[in-house]
Amino acid sequence: MSNMIIKVENATKIYNGGAVATAALRGVSLEIPRGSFTCIVGPSGHGKSTLMHLIGGLDRPTEGAVHLDEIEISQLDNCALAKLRGQKIGFVFQFFNLLQGLTAFENVEIAMMLAGIPESEQKARATAMLDLVNLGEKADAKPNQLSGGQQQRVAIARALANDPDILLMDEPTGNLDSAAEAEVLDILFALHKRGKTIVIVTHNNDIAARAEQIIRVRDGQILVS
Amino acid sequence: MTLTKLVVRNITRRRGRFVFTLLGITIGIASFVTFLSMGGNLKKEIFRETAALGAHLLVIPKGSCGFEQLSILTGDQMPTNITAAEFAAISAIKGLTAVPFLAQKSAMNNKPIAVNGIQPEETLKFKGWQIDKGEYFTAPDGSGAVVGAAAAKQFELKPGSVVSVRGEELTIKGILKETGGRDDFTMFLSMPVAQRLFKSIDRVSYISIKVDDLKLSDSYAEKIKEVAGLGVVSDKQMLKSVLGIVGSVNITLQMIAAVSVLAAAFGIINTMMTATYERKREIGILQALGATQRTIFSIFVLESAFYGIIGGVIGVVSGLLISTLAAPYISENAFTTLVKGSGNTSSIDPVMIFGSILFSAVVAIVAGLYPAWRAARLSPVEAISYE
Repeated sequence: MSNMIIKVENATKIYNGGAVATAALRGVSLEIPRGSFTCIVGPSGHGKSTLMHLIGGLDRPTEGAVHLDEIEISQLDNCALAKLRGQKIGFVFQFFNLLQGLTAFENVEIAMMLAGIPESEQKARATAMLDLVNLGEKADAKPNQLSGGQQQRVAIARALANDPDILLMDEPTGNLDSAAEAEVLDILFALHKRGKTIVIVTHNNDIAARAEQIIRVRDGQILVS
Repeated sequence: MTLTKLVVRNITRRRGRFVFTLLGITIGIASFVTFLSMGGNLKKEIFRETAALGAHLLVIPKGSCGFEQLSILTGDQMPTNITAAEFAAISAIKGLTAVPFLAQKSAMNNKPIAVNGIQPEETLKFKGWQIDKGEYFTAPDGSGAVVGAAAAKQFELKPGSVVSVRGEELTIKGILKETGGRDDFTMFLSMPVAQRLFKSIDRVSYISIKVDDLKLSDSYAEKIKEVAGLGVVSDKQMLKSVLGIVGSVNITLQMIAAVSVLAAAFGIINTMMTATYERKREIGILQALGATQRTIFSIFVLESAFYGIIGGVIGVVSGLLISTLAAPYISENAFTTLVKGSGNTSSIDPVMIFGSILFSAVVAIVAGLYPAWRAARLSPVEAISYE
């Protein structure tokens, strides 16, 4: 097994919106080691999120290749790609993206339901995941009854539910106050210590400063890797 | 968490929209079931009434159409165009028993009642009636009246009660045992009395015929036409003709109901399309969590199917209730009178019940296919970036 869990080779992403084609990424290549803590940084609109979408299998490159755990994911069909996302990647977004109609507990369960895990096992693991992010007592709360920090911790619990290889995060603390940010970061570093590969897209220099690897994106290209 | 639980949460999240969409399909299915149920009862009643007539052939005025045949079954008023001479000529044919009827209507306490003039002794034998209370006519021109069981109950009549028919007071002589047919709702007078009261001296409305040899029915019908020049129909022909009339009415009503179900289907499409727009980001989240296109498609089709199943069940129950409760209030006319007739209108047909729920579910699923397809083909990035 290669030590590189993510490998991007000469990836280009061009969006054809209307008459004008926009290149969001231009020939990007990078490698992310297994178990590393990597930050992708750069100004807004320069291709960070696009890179995250490619790495997470939410999108395919126009040219080039993306390897996840030695699987060429840009060649997979939609169904296989969706399954791979559910198994190998845990997403955390800036705006939490919890399902509003469901409780914190159910939000964690749903990731497992989509992976085909039986209901009894879902319950046990959802309890464990919420305990891990110190939200066991808020299991029955709906997202609108939780603070931003609590919602983001539920999102982390959900991302961890299927025990993915990689946690892929887009500005996970971008919408949190300092206290909530500290809570979330504590959890992330604890997870990293346990061997999870963590990739964070961020503007936050404090987080970037603590990363093992920083990937700087500018004008759709990587400056320093 | 299961897919079904998720679907139930989704459709009940916006309760107002859920209720109104559900109402659409419920009303559609309820009207469908009401018409279907009433139509079914009508058909059963027609079979029952035809059997209760006990006739192999019916002689009716020449040129009569299906409507007159229906009138015989419903106990409606009929013209009195058959003369005594024509009846005598038919009665003279060997191998058959002919019984004449004068079919009229009267009113009691402002409610209509069928009044039939009969030849007492012959009709008693022909119909195989039995007397429940009181006595029967003792002479061919006997005075007074004999009433069917249901009419006696409806108008609270007993032997000795006095009723007014066409301004003449008549004493109820007896009450017949229940026959299960239209006769239960009828008042019988001896033929001379009925002809006098309804100003139809020496005339009758129709003649019921029993033949000794059923195989020769057709030749008897020809003979009757020869001797009397009247119209003759067999019980089977009458059944076919009457069923044809009510069948086309039924189909028209069911088509109207089916259109309302179709309109409800568009309500479902509208609700589901709105849901795909509103929940675009949610679809993206599910895709990021590993939902395949098939799963997204299933979620939306299941949501749609739920509308169909729940709406179908409530619609069927409401439809059956309406058809049972509304039947007595349906005004008396040739097409609907049988529904409130002597039969059991609350009969429950499992095929109709499950068929209607299935119909509702299928309509809803078909209605949900396009919105579900739209939802499933959303790109994850586009969906999750949706504000």
